[in-house]
Amino acid sequence: MKAATWTGVNEVSVEEVPEPQLLNDHDVILKVKQSVTCGSDLHLLGGYIPFMRAGDVLGHEFIGEIVEAGPAVRHRKVGDRVVGAPFAACGNCWYCKQEQYSLCDNGNANPGITEGLWGQSPGGCLGYSHAMGGYAGSHAEYIRVPYADVGTFVVPEGISDTRALFASDAASTGWMGADLAGTKPGDVVAVWGAGGVGQMAARAAMLLGAEQVVVVDRLPERLQQVREHVGAETIDYSSTDVLAELRERTGGRGPDVCIEAVGMEAHSSGAAGVYDQVKQQLRLQTDRPTALREAVMACRKGGSIFTLGVFAAMVDKFPLGALMNKGITLRGAQVHAQRYIPELLERMERGELTTEHLATHVLPLSEAPRGYRMFKEKEDGCVRAVFTPGS
Amino acid sequence: MPLPKILARAAGLATEAGSGALQQLQHLRLPGVGQSSVTDDPDTAARRWRAVTVLADLEQLRAETPEPLARFGDRLEVRVTPAPGGRGAELAARFRSPVTEEELGELRSALREAKQRIETGEVLRNEPQPHGHRKQTPQGEALDGMVERAPKEGVL
Ligand SMILES: NC(=O)c1ccc[n+]([C@@H]2O[C@H](COP(=O)([O-])OP(=O)(O)OC[C@H]3O[C@@H](n4cnc5c(N)ncnc54)[C@H](O)[C@@H]3O)[C@@H](O)[C@H]2O)c1
Ligand SMILES: [Zn+2]
Ligand SMILES: [Zn+2]
Repeated sequence: MKAATWTGVNEVSVEEVPEPQLLNDHDVILKVKQSVTCGSDLHLLGGYIPFMRAGDVLGHEFIGEIVEAGPAVRHRKVGDRVVGAPFAACGNCWYCKQEQYSLCDNGNANPGITEGLWGQSPGGCLGYSHAMGGYAGSHAEYIRVPYADVGTFVVPEGISDTRALFASDAASTGWMGADLAGTKPGDVVAVWGAGGVGQMAARAAMLLGAEQVVVVDRLPERLQQVREHVGAETIDYSSTDVLAELRERTGGRGPDVCIEAVGMEAHSSGAAGVYDQVKQQLRLQTDRPTALREAVMACRKGGSIFTLGVFAAMVDKFPLGALMNKGITLRGAQVHAQRYIPELLERMERGELTTEHLATHVLPLSEAPRGYRMFKEKEDGCVRAVFTPGS
Repeated sequence: MPLPKILARAAGLATEAGSGALQQLQHLRLPGVGQSSVTDDPDTAARRWRAVTVLADLEQLRAETPEPLARFGDRLEVRVTPAPGGRGAELAARFRSPVTEEELGELRSALREAKQRIETGEVLRNEPQPHGHRKQTPQGEALDGMVERAPKEGVL
């Protein structure tokens, strides 16, 4: 079959690869209908998470049809149209029972690598490097999904493929950020990053009752989408002093909840930007935490911050003093998609949550290299490139 | 022991290329993180109980030593105790006499397997997976070595 693979730093190819097989009794094989690029892939692509092997199949946000099911699969059947969760979660360990699915104890067959990095191993993620379990991803005609009763969700008929696709990751990640940061009615919420994840976090905050939601980015077409499709306010950080603006818009308090949806490759200008670039290149820090620093400084006293943006290891000049003295709560997580997908599909069906606008570029799988280039360089207003392997 | 050798050993890599690539990865790590023992002397390290917490019935777990551990026979002491807060049971094991790093690795993967069988009924497999052409590069080789060792490595 055809698949989009990582073949080196900043190099995506389309290759002929073997079809996946059922490896465990709880597996299904999906025929992929749509599979989308995610900001997390950019960190892999750029070599910031150095556990990719040339030839690895990318992709972890997808919708497809079940074409084969293992003997232990009870609640899904051949022919079901399903969205898949990015993380492989067994559903039976203590973490899964707490609905912390991305922390599943039994989802990563290579735990030694992540224990080496972080002291403990989170779960495994499809198409996300050998550190995260070495699973082949969804930018392919077929994908194997382990623990399918837990990790796939039947999509109600009324929801289009493209809307449902984003329940897989962008929408569930955004929802998780707003939810686990403790967003409640009356809150002011600021979101850094107007990509798929940031936009969905902003929408979630609104649906959870936030009084005011402000999204920070510099790309005009994305900020435009935020105003038009999400209904939140925006700040263009390239022309506005973000901290001053947020203070002015919040009666001098700062946001109650700050959601960081930018990650380790944050863009920044001026001296701080140069400093971070140099440090990263000299390997004195692995990640550029520009947006996270800003969130710590912006956040109101006693407020909460959630980092949805992916970080790999070390950051420098982290304002821990501000965090501690202002009594801020900082949390982060990889997506517990299994916890949120059912509710998101219901909201999608009711029309409360729309995602189609994120799919700015729908391309055949053969154009994956171009799709990734446009997504990485944010060319032609690309917010997400969606591949359609079946077509 | 020179640093590249220590690093190479830590990941079970013998090749020069492997240790070179791994050294580059050290900027990702905090010193000492990710090994089961950092300041222990080798004897203490070898005698430590290695434990996984299993969401399972204590009595059932006590009734029979899980198969992956039973394989070690008398060489292993096995202990099952309740885990606090409704987390099930703590399944711990240690060797009765000094063993090699390789044997410790076998124990790590046996404990992980035992837990998986009890909680999910099977052992997760990730081979073979679809993939494209594997270019032969030093980094690629190092990663292959790391992946092969990964089930036997880590803090357990
Ligand atoms: N936690 C999870 O499970 C999870 C899931 C999906 C994605 N992610 C992560 O979320 C992040 C965003 O994903 P995405 O798909 O939306 O990516 P994206 O690349 O499409 O969007 C990132 C946005 O951040 C903006 N940005 C860059 N620097 C900024 C700064 N200093 N201040 C404000 N905005 C800035 C960019 O202009 C861009 O619009 C990535 O780090 C990704 O890895 C995490
Ligand atoms: Zn993602
Ligand atoms: Zn689990």
